[in-house]
Amino acid sequence: MLPIDVAAHSSRWRRRHPVDKAVLGFGLTVLAISLPPWPGAALVLVAALALLLGPAGVPGRRLWRAYRVPLGFCVTGALTLLVQVGGPDGVVSLAGDGPVRAGELLLRTSAASLGVLLFAFTTPLSDLLPRLVRAGIPAPVVDVALVTYRMSFLLLDSVRRVREAQAARLGHTSRAAEWRSLAGLGATAFVRSFDRAARLQAGLAGRGYDGTLRVLVPEARVSARFTAASCALLGALAALALILKGR
Amino acid sequence: MHIAEGFLPPVHAAAWGVASAPFVVHGVRSLTREVREHPESTLLLGASGAFTFVLSALKLPSVTGSCSHPTGTGLGAILFRPPIMAVLGTITLLFQALLLAHGGLTTLGANVFSMAIVGPWAGYAVYRLLRRYDVPLMVAVFCGAFLADLSTYCVTSVQLALAFPDPGSGFLGALGKFGSIFAVTQIPLAVSEGLLTVLVMRLLVQSSKGELSRLGVVPSTKGSRTEAEAVAR
Repeated sequence: MLPIDVAAHSSRWRRRHPVDKAVLGFGLTVLAISLPPWPGAALVLVAALALLLGPAGVPGRRLWRAYRVPLGFCVTGALTLLVQVGGPDGVVSLAGDGPVRAGELLLRTSAASLGVLLFAFTTPLSDLLPRLVRAGIPAPVVDVALVTYRMSFLLLDSVRRVREAQAARLGHTSRAAEWRSLAGLGATAFVRSFDRAARLQAGLAGRGYDGTLRVLVPEARVSARFTAASCALLGALAALALILKGR
Repeated sequence: MHIAEGFLPPVHAAAWGVASAPFVVHGVRSLTREVREHPESTLLLGASGAFTFVLSALKLPSVTGSCSHPTGTGLGAILFRPPIMAVLGTITLLFQALLLAHGGLTTLGANVFSMAIVGPWAGYAVYRLLRRYDVPLMVAVFCGAFLADLSTYCVTSVQLALAFPDPGSGFLGALGKFGSIFAVTQIPLAVSEGLLTVLVMRLLVQSSKGELSRLGVVPSTKGSRTEAEAVAR
């Protein structure tokens, strides 16, 4: 399994209804991109971080490993805002408001990413996907997504084992060998995914498969208290940001 | 490399979502119709989605010595066709956002437009065009995969340039800046992905000719219609 999914399955908030966590996590993300970056996104960032490390109980190291991925893109993208092309100072020069724009962008993306990570670190996809049908997503699409989700882990595991076998056979010792191994890996993933699909189909056909994949979804109720507290927190953050901005 | 969460201003994020919607809806409708007519296609489509997800997780050695990940859009479009790739790509991008923290939900529309729509359609168009003129399969596969990868990142650069125009030279200056970071550096990676796709396809032609003929990639032998053919349509 992937680290974020492992954390989600063992999260303190695992038993909460996905709607509870979506209101809080995605609410923080929406606030981060819609409020002024300073002080709005900064407040959202602090709140999201406090929720992740506090009540949600996400280990700091695990959070950092996931968080550095979007951060890398943000830093690379923000660097371009530091310079400007053309103008009186030459072909390429430092942009006057570049550091401010880059800083604001970094704040906004960092805060928005933490909002989504709050949801991802507490909600396994296996809890979320079957409930998407109620949100209006066509059932066949949800079924395909469910099969994709479950098969991805099997395929990732197969790929990892094939890679280990290739390494044991000196498959990564030279550039040519590495390319050959990589191509073999891609082709094996294709063959195995089709083979698994065929075997799954045979197994399900034997159990009277009628085109609907029925899965057990852990029972959970939307908590009015949790949702109300989340909305109150979001409202307070928005109000505080606008008050501080107005000063 | 996907546009990270919150990177685009809200209006741009919404606009790219609107631009992507017709393609995804078209893909969803054809997928839904297919699954209703042939329920067994669900498993094959799920397997195709998993393959696309895993393909994008493979580490690709770049000719510059660095390392990246293939987009998989070229190979996916050649194997499964662009409309199906619009749906599978959207599912893959959603999984990447929630399982790997790659990309984001507010930027999903923009990422879907570049990676699940423009990339597959551009790659597939070149592939079909070259095949129509009897260009060898592997040359067409290379060109399709190369263009699918490169066009994905060119569109990403355009999306970023539209969102963050240069203070001195506007959109064009910003396009030059973002293009030099996200598109020009991608050329060696696009070459790498093209080469990898050719190698994968060569192995598939040797080991899985049956599946490829069912998907319509290589000339099919006369036989019964299977679920794989259904996916290919």
